[in-house]
Amino acid sequence: MKRSVSILLLTLGAILGIAGPALADGAQAGADVHVAQTLGDRDLTVIIRRVAEVPGPVHVDVVTHAGSPAGEITLTARAAGAATSTTKVVLGEKPGFHSGVLRIDRPGPWELAVDEATIPFVVPALVPSPWENATYGGFIAAGVLLFVALLLAVFGRPGLALVPTAGVIAAVAVAATAALLSPSIPPLAPPGTQLDPTFDNVNDPYQRTSIVDFSRPPVNLVPGVRGDDLVLSLTDGSSGRPVDDLLVHDSAFIHLVVVSPSGNLLHLHPIRTAPGEYRARLKAAERGTYALAAEIARRGGGVQLLRSSIEVSGTSAARPQDGKAALATEIREAGRPSTITAGFGERDLQPWLGMLGHMIVIGPVTDSPAKAPIWAHVHSMIPPTPGLPDKPDESVAAYGPDVPFTYSFPLPGKYFVWIQAERNYEIVTVPTVVDVPAAKGVSEK
Amino acid sequence: MKRSALVLLAAVIALAGVLVVVWPRTVEAQPQLAESAQLRFVLTPASTKSGRNSFDLRVTDRSGHPAQGAVTVEPAMPQMGHALAPITAGPAEPGRYEVGDVDLLMAGQWEITVSLNAERVVIPLLLT
Repeated sequence: MKRSVSILLLTLGAILGIAGPALADGAQAGADVHVAQTLGDRDLTVIIRRVAEVPGPVHVDVVTHAGSPAGEITLTARAAGAATSTTKVVLGEKPGFHSGVLRIDRPGPWELAVDEATIPFVVPALVPSPWENATYGGFIAAGVLLFVALLLAVFGRPGLALVPTAGVIAAVAVAATAALLSPSIPPLAPPGTQLDPTFDNVNDPYQRTSIVDFSRPPVNLVPGVRGDDLVLSLTDGSSGRPVDDLLVHDSAFIHLVVVSPSGNLLHLHPIRTAPGEYRARLKAAERGTYALAAEIARRGGGVQLLRSSIEVSGTSAARPQDGKAALATEIREAGRPSTITAGFGERDLQPWLGMLGHMIVIGPVTDSPAKAPIWAHVHSMIPPTPGLPDKPDESVAAYGPDVPFTYSFPLPGKYFVWIQAERNYEIVTVPTVVDVPAAKGVSEK
Repeated sequence: MKRSALVLLAAVIALAGVLVVVWPRTVEAQPQLAESAQLRFVLTPASTKSGRNSFDLRVTDRSGHPAQGAVTVEPAMPQMGHALAPITAGPAEPGRYEVGDVDLLMAGQWEITVSLNAERVVIPLLLT
């Protein structure tokens, strides 16, 4: 009898050890969302921090840049059928981080309004996958069946104990198979990047869809001017309906590169004001033709470049851009990789739009930038930090001083080149001109 | 006695099975062959991990004679839309080139374009 009791106690201990709470550990759902926004006269970066628990707080950082006027902005989080949460953030004179906290009460598609700009984002639900359930369930079942088998054996029914023993083997086999095969199961199409997010598919991301090709039609861009603002109207190239499924790519919905009539470069990030309508303030507008190109990424598809031009009747006098950097260039003939390295002196550059630097290339220019055949956006990348899944934000001023770019100029001729990097929350724009020689010994095709 | 030996044997077999399944496999650095109209390029990376790498490159003509001149290596990562500065290397011995200090900082599929004179080939390289 004493022996039976000790066996029972031991078994109980073993079961409690195995079948502890099966928490979904290590599952990192979502990441910080960085969105650059040209909101009125301000250039902001809005960072929606990863949501740790639902319902719970969502931390929003608003990063101001040099030349951004002080003031107050209103942050609002809203979703269909959920209570709206509002907070005010006071932006100081000094550029930098300003924080606000909002409350969300359910996973699903949400919208963050920053004054008149709206940023759609998805709060993912922590849902254990079917193979996780099979693994944990299998091991728990094995533990319980082991206990039953021991009970039967202790109370003198060894023959009957064979039945739960077979169950133990089956349950362990199921759990081990699920655990070993789960890394090779392809990930499902995530709502928000491939599928349009709804409350249903965010809360049940493992439901299968029959879609295999997620790509979407191209987009038509029609620019317009309303007051001081450039207004971009985006419509679907196949249905003509407004395009309201832009993804945040390289930290913005739209990278709008604008070249003024006098040849100044603006790198704007229009705000979403309505479905398919984006707006950006054109500061110090000049009179003449502005060349513009918008980089967008639709849900389920790659990045596309939309080029256009617009007449603006501004009154400002042109003031040349005067960013300074030591440029080391090695220009090869057309079609071969050329390198341009901008030296910024001190090792205190900040990541801007997730990159160390940006280089805009427009050319070969014979008439106006609007008619140049090549329009390129080259990145200089932040070296990845092992073990850190989230990219560094602008508070890390520890990069540079050399910002290298490699680009194969496709055609010979004269190119306008602008290099952009961030220091002290100020975007430095360095203009230059590059002459690319024709390829040697290559006949015209 | 015999029984415990059997149990031990079963345990060893089970452990061996588990090890075969879960043992981490690394991609071996294999020589990669690519041929252009006149030349044959064989590139062997020092490692298949992301980080600082170096290439051992052998260039011969189609009949096996060592090639003349300097090679240019242009690493690029198409998925990120990112190219690195090209590296030019002279021959260490006829037909053999050592290309050192190639900073392939990201894991993923790279494309290494190797050119000598007007001949060029593209060699895929998967880094883990």
